[in-house]
Amino acid sequence: MKIQFWGQEFKANMIVGCTGGFLIAIMSSMFGFGGGPFMVPLMTVLMGLPMYVVVGSSLLAIFFNTLMASSRVVGFGNVDFLLFGFMAAGAVLGGFLGPQISKRLNPLWVKRVAVVGLTILGLMLLGVIPTPK
Amino acid sequence: MKILIFLAIAISLHTGIAMAQTEQQELAAQVTLTLDKKEYAGGEVIKIKGTAPPGRPVYIEIASEKKVQVSRLDSRRDPDTGKIPYIFYLSKDIPPLYMILMPKELEEAYKLEVAKGKDWSVSRMLTSTGADVAYITPAKAKVDRWQASIMATILGSRGDQLEPMDEKGNRRQSMPLMKARYRWPERMFAPTIEIKEDGTFTAEYKLPDNAPSGSYTVIAVVDRELKSAPATFKHDLGFAQLYFDRAGQSLNIIGPFLLAVVVCTFGVVMGAGGGFILNPLLIFIYGIPHAIVAGSVLPSVLFSQGTGIYNYSKIKFINWKLGVSIGIAMLAGGFIGPKLTEMITLEQYKFLFGWVLLILAAIMLWQTTPGYIAKSAKDQAILKEFKKRAEEAAAKKAAKSEEGGKL
Repeated sequence: MKIQFWGQEFKANMIVGCTGGFLIAIMSSMFGFGGGPFMVPLMTVLMGLPMYVVVGSSLLAIFFNTLMASSRVVGFGNVDFLLFGFMAAGAVLGGFLGPQISKRLNPLWVKRVAVVGLTILGLMLLGVIPTPK
Repeated sequence: MKILIFLAIAISLHTGIAMAQTEQQELAAQVTLTLDKKEYAGGEVIKIKGTAPPGRPVYIEIASEKKVQVSRLDSRRDPDTGKIPYIFYLSKDIPPLYMILMPKELEEAYKLEVAKGKDWSVSRMLTSTGADVAYITPAKAKVDRWQASIMATILGSRGDQLEPMDEKGNRRQSMPLMKARYRWPERMFAPTIEIKEDGTFTAEYKLPDNAPSGSYTVIAVVDRELKSAPATFKHDLGFAQLYFDRAGQSLNIIGPFLLAVVVCTFGVVMGAGGGFILNPLLIFIYGIPHAIVAGSVLPSVLFSQGTGIYNYSKIKFINWKLGVSIGIAMLAGGFIGPKLTEMITLEQYKFLFGWVLLILAAIMLWQTTPGYIAKSAKDQAILKEFKKRAEEAAAKKAAKSEEGGKL
């Protein structure tokens, strides 16, 4: 599929894009997170699109997934609206605070801390690092 | 005539004797139960006292009157037929707090089941300790079941609903659901009742801090016929505590709120959103069921995504053709995923999520490599340049339309 972006034309492999998007959508809606950090590498590395094309369009694609998944979880009765309220408030507040803080931080170090944190959390989930009951 | 009178006398005599007998039985076999208070705060100890016929074991059932939804997929191979049943069970009537206290003498039988670890079973615990007579409230929970299949799951449905079960089947199927909810025997059973020789008994139960609000019933049971009148008490929530009705527990809201703010802020800083860290922490710290965690956190991303799309669309930074095309594929994925959350156990959820996080960590580690940084710096510069141009164009357009409005 050919796409136009600010006067430039790009070729996008939609078989890779749609298959990858489909799988990432299942994963992210199953575990309950956004999925952006997986979509951006998919579209830049595997589909070969430049970053500036991907930032907005990937968000739009993910939005479809989140919207559908949200209606599904509400239908299944798996949404605790009180918990949702607090998490949404936290997300909105984090959206304001995040950019303020990130200006003062070295992004490389942020990533490194994130790698360590995510690895620890992942190993806790896998039961390699013991957790209390 | 004489025979008739004789018969009448005989019948009346017989019924009289029978009535006297049952009365006597009731008197001798009365079970009573009293609580030391009518209202308790979270963490407070409930002191239970009562009497029962001497020499008989007593069980006490404590149940919240509130209800939560619990579901599970039976995917264990049947040892007789060799087939995997794939039946999805769901009940909306499971009490969010439940406890059966049993006599201290039964500690050995209780510990034997606890020692089985993850493989413990509610039904085995009930029969081996004799506590099945006190398993009253969850046995009444209505359990619905569906014949699930891989195809149905792909289509996003629970499958075909099966005939309702009879009372016995319902009772049996409520037990694995109770295990799915409580997970560990310690949270459902405790051998703590002290029974004296004269039949009086005492027990203590510490109401958990996160116990649901509202009314509870307490009942002492000796056997199927012999039980006390139910006693009730209330749990009043403390300062800043609220009852989360789907999670089935009360929480001090300050904790989850601060957690959400801190994690989401860090999520934005690292550029990955909060759900990755928030979901496992909500499970680890608060023990909220995984389907509820996933279901409640997921929609909260909508706001930030919505504002992001709005901001990018204002400066025409979205390729709608690309976004919508992949979006439709993701729509299909989003239809299936939440179904899978319901179908998997907490262990499976943790296992898969653990690998997802390790993969994410690997992606982020790759993003700290020098080659990537050099490329990303170039990308960012182009991105900035494009954004600037786009913003200028949008501003120009706005100014033009304003002029047009004035004319």
